Amino acid sequence: MNFRLTAWLTLTAMATTAFTLSACQKDAAISTAQATTAPVSGGTLTWGVGTEPTCFDPHSSSQQNSFFLIRNYVDSLVAKLADGSFAPWLAKSWSISEDGKTYDFVLRDDVSFSDGTPFNAEAVKANFDYILKNSAVTSASASLLVQYDHIEVVSPTEVKIVLKTPDSTTLESLSSVKLGFLSPKTLSDNKDLCAGGPALVGTGPFTFTSYQRGQEATFSRNPNYHWAPAFAQNKGPAYLDKVVYRFLPEASVRTGALSSGQVDLIEGVQPTDIGVFDKAEGFQYLTGPSATTSFTLNINYTTGPAADVRVRRALRDGFDLDAIVKSVYLGTVRRAWSNIGPDNADYATHLKDSWGNKVEQANQLLDQAGWTQRDSEGFRTKDGQRLSIEVGYPQPYVRDSRDVLIRAIQSALRQNIGLDLHLHITTAGDFANQKATGNWTIYPNTDNPSDVAMELWDMLGDRGFLYNAIAKSDPVITGDINKARQLKAGPERRELLGKIQQYAVDQAYIVPLFAPAYHVAAKSRVHGVYFEPQLDSPGNSYDLWATPATQ
Amino acid sequence: MHPLIKRILARLLSALLVLWLAASTAFVAIHALPGKIEDVLAGDLQYPGLREAISAQWGLDRSLAWQYGHFLERLAHGDLGSSYVMQQDVIQVLSSQIWPTVQLALSAGVLATVLALVVATLTAGRSRLSRRLASAVELILASTPVFWLGLLLLIAFSFQWRLFPVSGATGWKSLVLPAVTLALPLAGVLSQVTREALEQALEQAFVTTIRARGLGELALRLRHLLRHALLPVVTLGGWLIGSLLGGAVITEKMFGRPGVGSVTLNAVLSQDLPVVLAVVLLAALIHVVISTLLDVLYLFIDPRLNTP
Repeated sequence: MNFRLTAWLTLTAMATTAFTLSACQKDAAISTAQATTAPVSGGTLTWGVGTEPTCFDPHSSSQQNSFFLIRNYVDSLVAKLADGSFAPWLAKSWSISEDGKTYDFVLRDDVSFSDGTPFNAEAVKANFDYILKNSAVTSASASLLVQYDHIEVVSPTEVKIVLKTPDSTTLESLSSVKLGFLSPKTLSDNKDLCAGGPALVGTGPFTFTSYQRGQEATFSRNPNYHWAPAFAQNKGPAYLDKVVYRFLPEASVRTGALSSGQVDLIEGVQPTDIGVFDKAEGFQYLTGPSATTSFTLNINYTTGPAADVRVRRALRDGFDLDAIVKSVYLGTVRRAWSNIGPDNADYATHLKDSWGNKVEQANQLLDQAGWTQRDSEGFRTKDGQRLSIEVGYPQPYVRDSRDVLIRAIQSALRQNIGLDLHLHITTAGDFANQKATGNWTIYPNTDNPSDVAMELWDMLGDRGFLYNAIAKSDPVITGDINKARQLKAGPERRELLGKIQQYAVDQAYIVPLFAPAYHVAAKSRVHGVYFEPQLDSPGNSYDLWATPATQ
Repeated sequence: MHPLIKRILARLLSALLVLWLAASTAFVAIHALPGKIEDVLAGDLQYPGLREAISAQWGLDRSLAWQYGHFLERLAHGDLGSSYVMQQDVIQVLSSQIWPTVQLALSAGVLATVLALVVATLTAGRSRLSRRLASAVELILASTPVFWLGLLLLIAFSFQWRLFPVSGATGWKSLVLPAVTLALPLAGVLSQVTREALEQALEQAFVTTIRARGLGELALRLRHLLRHALLPVVTLGGWLIGSLLGGAVITEKMFGRPGVGSVTLNAVLSQDLPVVLAVVLLAALIHVVISTLLDVLYLFIDPRLNTP
């Protein structure tokens, strides 16, 4: 059966390649007018995207891949730039009190929602109230307001946000699409905000024209838009009349749809298809930044054999990560050194080349830790127990060949150091159960927040996602993380965040694996594709424009 | 009471019983899955009061018996509740998705049946070569995975020759490739079964009589034999419906078509209880309706069943 499947897949891959190669040669004749530099207004472009949002309400959605669609109609108070700093957006300026608990925002007075309602301090308050009132369904955005105490409408153009305790991740949260703004009328009228469509009204550069579930979502230009964030090139209304997002879950179908000209851009290009578009005539291929988190094995350091630092370090250094990442992803992604993405301003650069692939030392560590016997299958044992640690990977999160990567590591560790890294594909419920009781062993994941203190708190903090139910977490690292969350942005905070990353890797609480990035391919007549720093994904379609197809 | 009315009433009662059993089994199965639903819904979020808020929102803090009773009570009123994940009325979501799935399943079902009947009628009892060739093709089709067949058809007819669009559900053109993808493997199975039945019928004594009367071979097959051959096909009807609905999940996903399939898949993965329950009920309902129709159909095809 396995052989049959493999043979089929190979045959399909061969057929796809043969087809796409011929498509490339054909398109070589239609070399586009790249010389045009001034953006052209008008026209429609169609995206082929892999994920269909289950919910279009920015406050309720927790799907990373829904946000670059939602960004078309939702703006935020502040904009995060690639260097990690924040720029004005719907807020003209802001000040933070000495104690770090009060944020004063002066709002633009020339912004309106596309239903004509003015954007003002009341609208800000209405959105925050909505999130907190409906926290059972808006948990993704409500979680960003945990430190929030209250909001004061000082004047139509001034709001004061007061926190219970200082929180340096506040600007990051406010730059997120989850805390973006919908028209107060939308919030009070509509019960089915998740369902998308024209009823969902924001201040963004496009309006939500229509949504056919399972098929596509269409957005039209907002002609009044002139409050663009600093990370966009465009300053006036969007160039495109319309933009369509078609949902094509199969990667090979997206590739075929673009190479046959049925869509203009795709995201989620699989490694084997990159050659079809990269440096190919008629197409362009772009890789996004890796600024949020790297795909990481989070090791529960309080339980089982992994409670011994020597075992964790052996696991970390017992395989050649470079070679494995290269062979699984064909050189399309970077190997990771920290759980923070290498393009994040707070990434600990000094971790590079500091760990990994020290098989001999790893074996010595395990010997010292007493794992000296071997069982019939060649695994190390101690007191008759096999050296085995489970990686519990919830099925809904398995994607991008990440299970293949872990299996490759599993096989290398078995061969190199006799450690049984046992990959167990679980259900979301199974994992939720283990987490609630603190019984998880190794949890592989990437995480959304791009603020490093927030991310470290989620994965390693004493009240965070993973260690909330575990009483014996390491006070050194949890103390530093809590401190970092309160420190103001600046060199001191950055240094502390670097120190925490280094400590986590040194103690092998984490084994970072690779830095995922978005892969976008488009026809070469498409211009203005960009990646939004806060999302770490493609941005919205605001900057997009196309050389007319007839040229 | 008229025996026919009695039969219909009995049938209806058993249909209700099947629906209730299906709904209850699904309810129990979802709750027997590891992990609390509120933990799954909270996902990777962690803050005080979150789980309590989610439990209260969906009534998960009440006893299981209460939840079950509440579920049955609403069901009786035709209310299937609101999706945990999509936060929309389940009936609204499903009713917007059912028509594309019906279109796909119906056209694939008809196509598969017609293909199978034509091929079987033309090849049954013919030369060894044509029968061998047909059954070889049928075997290949029947054992071809839907996703692979779909991709091949897409590569040829959409990406290369650009005759049909890659995705969507707008107009007949977008229906052609998904329907063919779904129909071909089923046609392979149906055609094999039909030929077998036809060949058995060909050996019956009445065939010799009819031939002796001088009726042409084609007329013999169409007028007299097809009826015999239809019985096993009708028996396979239940299997066919199941395969069509199951295959629709993969086909819809592959071709980016709207439909119940993708909604179901996402609901199961995210333990979206109300949606899963609704889909189970829908599937049970379809099976009940179809099997009742098939029972009636038997009576028409085979008058022998009508005689007491």
